Amino acid sequence: MFTFNSLVQKAQSLIDSTALQNIRDPDGTPSKAALFRLQFRLPDSQSPLHEITAELSLSAPQSSRASATAAREKQKLQERGNAYVGKLHLSESFLCFSTQPTSFHPSATTQASSAFTGHTQGAGPAGNGFTLPLCAIRRVERLQTANSLFALAITTWNGFTTLAANKGSSSDAQRFTVQLAGSRQASEGFCDGLRKGLRDGVKEVENLKAVIGECYSEYLLSGANKAERESAMKAQGMREPPDAGLGMVFRYPGDAKKLREQSKMRLWREYLRDNGRNATLIRQPTFHKLIRVGLPNRLRGEMWELTSGSLYLRLQKPKLFADILSKFSGRESLAIDEIEKDLNRSLPEYPGFQSEEGIGRLRRVLTAYSWTNEEVGYCQAMNIVVAALLIYMSESQAFFLLSVLCDRLLPGYYSQTMYGTLLDQRVFESLVEKKMPILWDHLVKSDVQLSVVSLPWFLSLYINSMPLVFAFRVLDVFFLEGPKVLFQVGLAILRINGEELLDITDDGTFISILKTYFSRLDESAHPTSEYEKLRAVTKFQELMVVAFKEFAGITQSTISEQRAKHKDAVLDNIESFAKRTSIRNLGLDSKRLSVDDLGFLYDRFYGILYEREQRMQVMREESDRRAKASRTKATELVTGIPGNTSIEIGRVGLGPSSTLMNYDGFREFLAGITRWAITDAPTASHKDSVSEKEGSIYSGHSGRARSFSLSPWGAGNAEPADHDFMQRLYGKWNKDDNDGLSLQDVVTGIAHVKGTRDIMASISYFFDLYDDDDDGKVDREGILRISEALLFLTRRGLGGSPTPSSTSTISESVDSTNSSVDERFLSSVSAFIRRCFEYADPDQPQNQSNGTAGSPDPNLSASMDNFTVGDSDSDSEEDLLDLGPKSTDQAPSPDTPLPRRTSSLNHPITKPPSKHSANLALDPANPLHITLPTFRMVILADDLLQQFFESSFPDSFHLSDHPAHTSQTALTTFSSPTTPTIPAAPRGGIVPPAKGLRGVLDNIVSDGMRVAGEVRKRMDEAQREMERSALQRSSEADMDDEDEKGGYGGESDRRSVREGDRELLEGEEAVVGVGRGGNKEVEEDLLGALEGTGDTRTPEKGKVEFER
Amino acid sequence: MADSAGAAPPKPSSSVKLVLLGEAAVGKSSLVLRFVNNDFQENKEPTIGAAFLTQKSHLPHRTIKFEIWDTAGQERFASLAPMYYRNAQSALVVYDLTKPTSFVKAKHWVAELQRQASPGIVIALVGNKLDLTNESSDTSGTPSTTTTEGAAEGEENADAAEENGDARKISTKEGREYAEEEGLLFFETSAKSGVNVQGVFTAIANAIPETQMKTSKTQAAGGGTQTALGAERVNLNKRAEGAKEGCAC
Repeated sequence: MFTFNSLVQKAQSLIDSTALQNIRDPDGTPSKAALFRLQFRLPDSQSPLHEITAELSLSAPQSSRASATAAREKQKLQERGNAYVGKLHLSESFLCFSTQPTSFHPSATTQASSAFTGHTQGAGPAGNGFTLPLCAIRRVERLQTANSLFALAITTWNGFTTLAANKGSSSDAQRFTVQLAGSRQASEGFCDGLRKGLRDGVKEVENLKAVIGECYSEYLLSGANKAERESAMKAQGMREPPDAGLGMVFRYPGDAKKLREQSKMRLWREYLRDNGRNATLIRQPTFHKLIRVGLPNRLRGEMWELTSGSLYLRLQKPKLFADILSKFSGRESLAIDEIEKDLNRSLPEYPGFQSEEGIGRLRRVLTAYSWTNEEVGYCQAMNIVVAALLIYMSESQAFFLLSVLCDRLLPGYYSQTMYGTLLDQRVFESLVEKKMPILWDHLVKSDVQLSVVSLPWFLSLYINSMPLVFAFRVLDVFFLEGPKVLFQVGLAILRINGEELLDITDDGTFISILKTYFSRLDESAHPTSEYEKLRAVTKFQELMVVAFKEFAGITQSTISEQRAKHKDAVLDNIESFAKRTSIRNLGLDSKRLSVDDLGFLYDRFYGILYEREQRMQVMREESDRRAKASRTKATELVTGIPGNTSIEIGRVGLGPSSTLMNYDGFREFLAGITRWAITDAPTASHKDSVSEKEGSIYSGHSGRARSFSLSPWGAGNAEPADHDFMQRLYGKWNKDDNDGLSLQDVVTGIAHVKGTRDIMASISYFFDLYDDDDDGKVDREGILRISEALLFLTRRGLGGSPTPSSTSTISESVDSTNSSVDERFLSSVSAFIRRCFEYADPDQPQNQSNGTAGSPDPNLSASMDNFTVGDSDSDSEEDLLDLGPKSTDQAPSPDTPLPRRTSSLNHPITKPPSKHSANLALDPANPLHITLPTFRMVILADDLLQQFFESSFPDSFHLSDHPAHTSQTALTTFSSPTTPTIPAAPRGGIVPPAKGLRGVLDNIVSDGMRVAGEVRKRMDEAQREMERSALQRSSEADMDDEDEKGGYGGESDRRSVREGDRELLEGEEAVVGVGRGGNKEVEEDLLGALEGTGDTRTPEKGKVEFER
Repeated sequence: MADSAGAAPPKPSSSVKLVLLGEAAVGKSSLVLRFVNNDFQENKEPTIGAAFLTQKSHLPHRTIKFEIWDTAGQERFASLAPMYYRNAQSALVVYDLTKPTSFVKAKHWVAELQRQASPGIVIALVGNKLDLTNESSDTSGTPSTTTTEGAAEGEENADAAEENGDARKISTKEGREYAEEEGLLFFETSAKSGVNVQGVFTAIANAIPETQMKTSKTQAAGGGTQTALGAERVNLNKRAEGAKEGCAC
């Protein structure tokens, strides 16, 4: 399982909490800006700049053409003075007024700003009031008032299109006053803001004109009857009325008479004329009532657009839809394939979708959306929803409405993992449990899963559950009031059918009862009632009443709370499902690893991707906080999942944001499962003393990474190293040459190095890593690189623990004990280089004599003997474990081979003949290579190397099957060359050791460090030696000076070790043959020889290459 | 199911939960439609979530009522599948003979069912759209040609047909070998022509051991309390398992 909570906390701790005020509050609730946008359905670019309490006064309608009922209504309004008290808000390009008690001012509390998510009495979150684009305001005048309060008279561009035609006739003019009820200062501030906004708004007037030109209301109000409208259209140079959907051509669903279309149209005409239309509409209680009784067909699309706020998106970018279509024209994608499959099967019973016209519209809307939101792409059910929208609105309108649906109203419903759908099912279940406990118990008892029936309701907005006419009535309210409507209707369906549902025994009966119910929605709810009025009530009307009266308590905040409560469980489920599926489908190679290991790799892989994504996010936010507000997608600030959605980008359950791991991610990945992949210079304090040295030794540490003030590896994480070997591994695993490794690549890669216990396979795998051109040969440089890699991989001991920072505390005696094996490994590597060159094949035949000149090293067998003396070592090492830190007395025993092999240290000049032959082989004039059999032979000739390939290397990848508590044994036995079982430490050594054995471990750890330091020091010396000899052509030089400069870690520590070495050496020097031992002298000689012959290429070039 | 209230079958009757899985647009819903209504629609609405249908299958000695769960095929709906295959006694894993990707997907489903579904689930692997291959004309009307028993015969046909270059991409041999390896029933069908569709369901009915059948439930209210209670206990346990295993609903 992912440890998301800790990851999130980690990420959050990095965030300057005040910096993100504008995005979300620290307590996880959505920001005020988000709530503000949500309330008024505004685009993401808007934020609340000013707010002030105000009173909106509407003048009495001037119309004389009112019908009798409307006149009565108006009279009532006039009597009440139709004034509303509420809040007036100003954003960058909107002036909004709402009677819902809210406050988005920065100083306001969060409680206040979320108040609108409570009861809305059918008015929707925006309540009564208006949402005016500033560009729709024609004039604002300050009125003289007796009490010196600010009163603004606002004149709008209402009836924009007809205004032009009528040459400013005032019949459509809309004027109302807003009286500000704040302090003088606040009022002036508001007016200043408004003035500025109005100036900026002028630019968008053309947009406005284009956008409302597509609104049917403009046509509707252009004349009292068809003839008048047509002449008005002609006057404006339009040929046909605005597109109100496929219904205009293929008829709207349902019986127009039964739906009382005509009277609805009359009422709406009335309302729009008196209260403004489209962009300038003022919401009064009648507006909401008119929506409740069902929108008339021709205005339905426009009202959906208005109440959902997609109109404002369209206003921002009127050409977006057409632009996207042309931009991506001819391109292909998976989403498009999926769309094509479903085009013929979207509302196929509607005549419009049996025609090319309808199908073409559907194709264009779905395709354009799949390009704008590639993460969602296309999800089945979108075809049904969009098809339904297209009956009532134009393609462009449907496109923007679909965006609002996916981003805001149905967050995550259609995403790759459909987490939003699953989450809302869970929420719905919990609401049923709360509101209808008896039914819920029965469902549980009968083992009936509620979501089996309710999931399609939500996913396709009841469109393929109810007859279309009724589904559209639900949509009318849904767009006005928001997602809670889906829940209210769902609960009402269950409540109404409750008694029957209590009799069900299985899913089948459950489904069939509801199917029957839906098919009878147009029938009387009380067919046997003696009252005619009651008999006239249809089941659908009953449903609406139950939904909005009985379940009025289900508010948007109920939904948000429930979503927050269930989110983690749902995401966890999705993730474990995804993990299970993904692991199962990893293919044959994955069978070499245990299921636990695969699970571990999966978690680690996605954990890294997720964590890196978080860090990138944090860094981005850090760098451009300002631009953030406009960039953050609505999805992240979504209504339903308050708060930290944006902090969880990359979480698998939310949909894959990235499934490939780049090289840096790979480094981090390795650092978590191996100790050699952790850098030696992780912290700032060590940086100064070490970094320069590091660079020259391993030639691979990028200084760039360290220069970040904010660690790109995350606080408290080990910083990964960067080494040629890691790059090669990455290249090898990246089979398809993608931008990164997939989980499949990683699992296959690990399976190859770790899943085999076959030393031959392991050796040839390693060989292949260095066989750059796949010709079965590794050249001189490759050999040196291999040896360098061997040192790199074992620089913390064959299995020694990392934690490089604890260098200073070392007990000398323990050092010499434990270092022995690692030092012997050094000598093995050295021998490896030498033997490689000895047995290498020359590239050109004429050099064969040279190449083979070196007779087999007489010391080879001797050294073999020496190195097989492993048993005593292992014994003593085991003792060490038992005795804890007091291991001093064992110091001498493992060291017996040491003196002999390192004796040449003090006699560097008296080189034995075999050494010369080796040097001859190094002559760059004689290019040479080794083949796999040679490589294998050389490896198998040395116990330590053999052990390395047999177990150390595969085991250096720590996966799940190594419990942390075995680490002590592991560390100890590891340094014993003959102990076959090697082991493990806590993952990558980052996890602190278990208490109790801590003392032992600490010593071992610091010992490992010392060895690493020693290796490094020697390498460094060798390096310097080479550099110098390249300059001075002197192969031998005084080492001590160099030492002083390049000292690593504690000075005293290093010195003492060297002295210890010398003592040992002096005692045994006579016994030793030539150039034995892998200490620095040998290295120097070999490398120096290279340098001496003018081949300066190897190490220098290496350095350049490694630094990326 | 509403019509089943009065029908008292003379033979013992039991119900079997069957789930259909497979890639999008391989013809899952069409197979069901053919089986239930003996009908075929060229443009069938994609299944959202899942559809539920029932159909009786009459065997010589008993009647089996299939409770068929027809699931959505699009990849992203896969995480919903556990909700539907929960407690299923049988499954049809369907692929499109002309689409290799659908065969890969079918293998994934088989693997998932074998690990996650009820133990002992009877799985049938079904290659659909036989009508798009050349041998369709030969085999139509002889529905038993490509059942497991008649597989050899079917294979010959397939091999011959492949040389003729029809739309087939997955040979009968390939499908059958995989099915044998995994212990599945195997069929090649055409929902369009109806070839072999009945055969699939009959074979499944025969393959389900009598003991695993749910006792037929009486539809009348209040009836069958005893059996219902018995079933509950078992199912409740399974439900808990399902939840643990990541069925998100």
